[in-house]
Order: sequence, then C-alpha cells, then structure tokens
Amino acid sequence: MVNRMVLQNIMHRPVRTAVSILAVAIEVGMVMLVVGLTTGLLNESAKRVEGVGADVLVQPPGASFFFGLTQAPMPIKIADRLAEIPRVGGVAPALFQFNSTGGLNLIYGIDMESFNRVTGGFVYHSGGPFEQPYDILVDDWYAKANHVKVGQNLSFLNHSFRVAGIVEHGKGARLFIPLKTAQEMSGALDKASIFFVKCTDPGYTDQVITSIHQLLPRYQILSVKEYMSLMSSNNLPAMRAFLTVMILVAVVIGFLVIFLSMYTTITERTREIGILKSLGASKTYIIEAILREAGLLAVIGVLAGIAGTWFARKVILASFPTLSIDLTIEWAGRAALLAMVGSLIGAFYPALRAAQLDPVDALSYE
Amino acid sequence: MEPIIATQDLKKVFRLGKVQVPALRGVDLIVQEGEFLAVVGPSGCGKSTLLHILGGLTNPTSGHVLVDGNDFITMNDADRTRFRRHKIGFVFQRFNLLPTLTARQNIAIAQHIQGNGFNPHRFDAVADMLGIREKLNHKPFAMSGGEQQRVAIARAVICEPKILLADEPTGNLDTENSQIVLNMLRALNRSFRQTILMITHNPEAAAVADRVVRMRDGRVVSD
Ligand SMILES: Nc1ncnc2c1ncn2[C@@H]1O[C@H](COP(=O)(O)OP(=O)(O)OP(=O)(O)O)[C@@H](O)[C@H]1O
Ligand SMILES: [Mg+2]
Repeated sequence: MVNRMVLQNIMHRPVRTAVSILAVAIEVGMVMLVVGLTTGLLNESAKRVEGVGADVLVQPPGASFFFGLTQAPMPIKIADRLAEIPRVGGVAPALFQFNSTGGLNLIYGIDMESFNRVTGGFVYHSGGPFEQPYDILVDDWYAKANHVKVGQNLSFLNHSFRVAGIVEHGKGARLFIPLKTAQEMSGALDKASIFFVKCTDPGYTDQVITSIHQLLPRYQILSVKEYMSLMSSNNLPAMRAFLTVMILVAVVIGFLVIFLSMYTTITERTREIGILKSLGASKTYIIEAILREAGLLAVIGVLAGIAGTWFARKVILASFPTLSIDLTIEWAGRAALLAMVGSLIGAFYPALRAAQLDPVDALSYE
Repeated sequence: MEPIIATQDLKKVFRLGKVQVPALRGVDLIVQEGEFLAVVGPSGCGKSTLLHILGGLTNPTSGHVLVDGNDFITMNDADRTRFRRHKIGFVFQRFNLLPTLTARQNIAIAQHIQGNGFNPHRFDAVADMLGIREKLNHKPFAMSGGEQQRVAIARAVICEPKILLADEPTGNLDTENSQIVLNMLRALNRSFRQTILMITHNPEAAAVADRVVRMRDGRVVSD
C-alpha cells in the first residue's frame, strides 16, 4: 500500500523524479568513471613498464613509481657498472620527458641498442629505427588516435620531430626519441631517469637486486613484479587524495539533490501528510514512506548510473582510444552503496520534518 | 452506561506570539454511544477546535476529556495517534482524499494504517452502502464533490471507528449531494449504531441529527 503511494508520488512529478534519478546516476557514474580512469591509467602504464621486458628497475633515491613525476636523473655511467654485475644480461637507460601540450605524454629518451637488448627489439608496423637526432617512434595506438603517418612531423617540447617508425605498443612509453636528443633538450647531459635491467634468467632477479643494493645503497631498486603490485592509487598519495575528493563531491551532489527533492516534496504534500496523520499514521509510518520514496529514486538512479557508465566508457574509449577505463563490480557496488546511503541521509531530515508536522496545521495548509 | 465522550471545563488557548486566543472557554459535553449529534454555532466559536481535540489531533490546554475511557490529559502524542488510528474516523469539509490514489486505494490506506490489513467483506459492505462501487478506480479529480465525500466517509468508517467526527461534511456540496451525504450518515448511525458528531452551519443538516448542541464563544450554550 505504501509502495503504491510511493509509486504514484514519483510518477506524479516526472521532472522532479527524473532530476533526482539523474543526480544519483551522475553520482554513481562519476565515482565509477573517476576510479575506472585512474586505475585504468595506472594498470595500463604498469603493463607497459612490464612490457619493456626488464626484470629490475633502478631509479634515483626518492623516485616516484609513477614515471614522469620523477625529474632527478642519475649519471649514465652507472649503466656500465650495472652491466658488470654477474647474471645481468642487459641494461637500458632511459630519460623521461614529459610533454604536456596536446594531452599528457610520457616520452622515453632511449639508446636504441641497449633498449633493444632488454626488450628484444621493436616490432615495426611501418617505417624503421631512428635515422637522425630529431626522429621519433610512436606506438600504433598513438598513431591511430592521432592519425600519424611515417615521415610526418610532430611537435614535442618545442621541437619538430620526424616520425621514423610506428611500433607495436606495450614497451614502456608510447613515444620514443634518441637518448642523446632527450639529454640535450633537457640539459641533462650524460643522465638517465631509470635503468631497465634484464637478468640472464628471471630466476636470478633477487640475486641481482641484492648485488645492485650493494653497489647503489640509496637507490630505489624494484623488481618489476614488486613494481606492478605497487602501482595502485593506495600507494600514490596525490592520486588517492584526488580520488577521495572526487568521490566526496559526487556523494555531496547526490545527497543535496535528494535532500532538496524530498524537501520540496514534503512541502508540496503537507496536506497529504496531514491527511495521513488524521487517519492515525504514526511518525514511523510517515518517515518510512518518505525514505522508501527516496530509496526507490536512489535504486533507479544507481541502476541508470551503472548502465550509463558502461555506455559512457564505450563512448569515451571510442573518442580517446589511448585511455583505458577499468570498471569493476567492486567499485560499482561501492558507488551504489555510497549513493544509497547518501540518498537516505539526504531524505532523513525532510522525513523527520514531515513526521513532526502538526496535523491540524498540515490539514489547513493551502 | 458510560458516556463515550465526556468533557468537563475543557479549555483550549492558542498562542499567536504574545497574543493568547481562547478558542474553548470551558466546554461541558456528554455524548452517549450511538448518538448522532449536530454541533452548530457562529463562525469562530470553537466547533472545529472541539472536534480536533475529541479526535486527538490537538492537545487541550486544561480540563478533562474522556473519550471511550481515554483521558487525553495524560496521553502523549504517540498515544493520541494510536487512539485516533483505532477509534476515530474523520470527515472534512474539503473531502481530503489523497489526490494521487484511486478511491479504492484511499479507502484501503486507512485499513493499512490501522494495521489490520484489507478486509474485503467490510470493504464491500461499506462501498455498497455508500454507492461508490462504480467509482472505485477513479482518482479524486475525476469524481464529483458528492462522490468524493462519500469516498471520504467510506474511508472514515472502514475500520469501524468508535466515533465518526465530521466537520461541515456538506459545506462544499450542493443541496442534492448534501442530502445524499446526510442520508448516508443517518443510515450509518441507524444500521451500525455509529456514534457521529457533525459540525454544520446548515439547519436542515442539523435536523437530521438526534440532538443539536449550540456553541457560542467557546462554550456550549444549549443542548
Ligand atoms: N491554530 C490556531 N491558532 C490561533 N488561533 C486559532 C487557531 N485555530 C483556531 N483559532 C481560533 O480559535 C477560534 C475558534 O476556531 P474554530 O476553527 O474552532 O472555529 P469554528 O467554530 O470551527 O469556526 P468556523 O465555523 O468558521 O469553522 C477562532 O477565533 C480562531 O481564530
Ligand atoms: Mg470550523
């Protein structure tokens, strides 16, 4: 019976209902997409680092896991000393360059020969290796997303680069330039941001790490396995804070809209509440009816939000193929729970007010 | 026999800021079970206020009120709500049906609030008696005033209240519909011994009752 009344009420004001549902849906969508985008970004960049094929990563003291945020390079001479360690099969230095015009791009400055030794070499979709200092290699995803062809000129870091080749994605960055060029451009002569170390066999990883620790005590030395497990927003305080703020904003939006929606509802329906009271409806009865209404709006909003997010993901990925958005059931559940709880809390004060209305006043309300 | 309603020196004072408005200045009233009582009097004399107190919608300020053995002075809000739920049926001048629900749902919600669930026999008996069978699936806006008021009466009596309190039930109706509604109240009183307290401005309506109580300035002046 209450359900029927609730249903009639939400159908009675379709615009109010639609706006409330939309707000909850946006709340859910925002939580899922923001989390999906950040984890997608982290997972995808972690996978690319794994794809380099190194076993150990050597970074300067205090470096971030999230490459590109690191700017303190190490002397390149270290590479030679790393190469002398037993069981080390290859050492590839790279200097990170961070390009922020026209989207954020991490560019690796690489020495082709050592990088190939660690990675096993690029697979070229078209074109070939660097021929001149201002040559660039782009991966196939980047090429597809930006309609890049071999021989074309691209502008990065205030320089014009000729696209020498388009390579299979998955080896660290999406863009590669010669190490020397990167060093000259950033004024970091004979420096590198990272050393990718490959062991003669992955089984020697721990042993090699111990040796590198002895050689470079203060440096940050991680096996790629460890690195993969560390690449989550929990280990990146800035990203974690960003996520928390975004989720909070989303929840507050949902809360406020439901609050306002239920608040106007009870004002509009003051007389009806008076009628229910004249029939002997208790406070609990009235609170329950209003919470049910808010709950129903929230449930529909959550379902619409989840469906909408899956759809939005498709649309976003179609227009930005280099992005990746990892949607998980777990986060769908969390977003749904946040939206439900936020909505019920938002509806609670209006419900309480309705329950406390004086029946005679309510009945004479115009 | 115990009267179903007994008030003694019942007073009600409204406070509007600093101003005190005495609405009831000492009402003494005895009503026996099964009586059909009409309450008449000039506008503002306190008729509605008396009805609201007897139905447990408002607190009295002082005096004694016993309704079916319940002393309102000692009852809190929740107690009065429970009392109203089980013992009182209200009918108002403005019908006061829930606008989004059909006639049937309007009647059923009273049974739902009371908590005894849907009773089809009682429902059919009441619907037949009030002649609203054809209109049960209509919403209030699709019914005439007379029909709405009959639905409101059905809703008020569906749970077999001890007392039916009607505040100018014919106030918004034309003569013909007023007559129909009055006949129904009369019939309810006759066939179910339904105790009815009806406020009215209409002498013809008052004539239908067993007894007429006249009020003036917050007191009962003639019985
Ligand atoms: N909520 C209130 N606050 C202040 N004064 C009130 C309130 N309700 C009623 N009154 C006053 O109490 C007095 C009695 O009002 P009541 O509504 O009981 O009169 P009535 O006999 O029903 O009048 P009518 O025939 O016009 O319906 C009036 O003077 C009215 O102004
Ligand atoms: Mg009145």
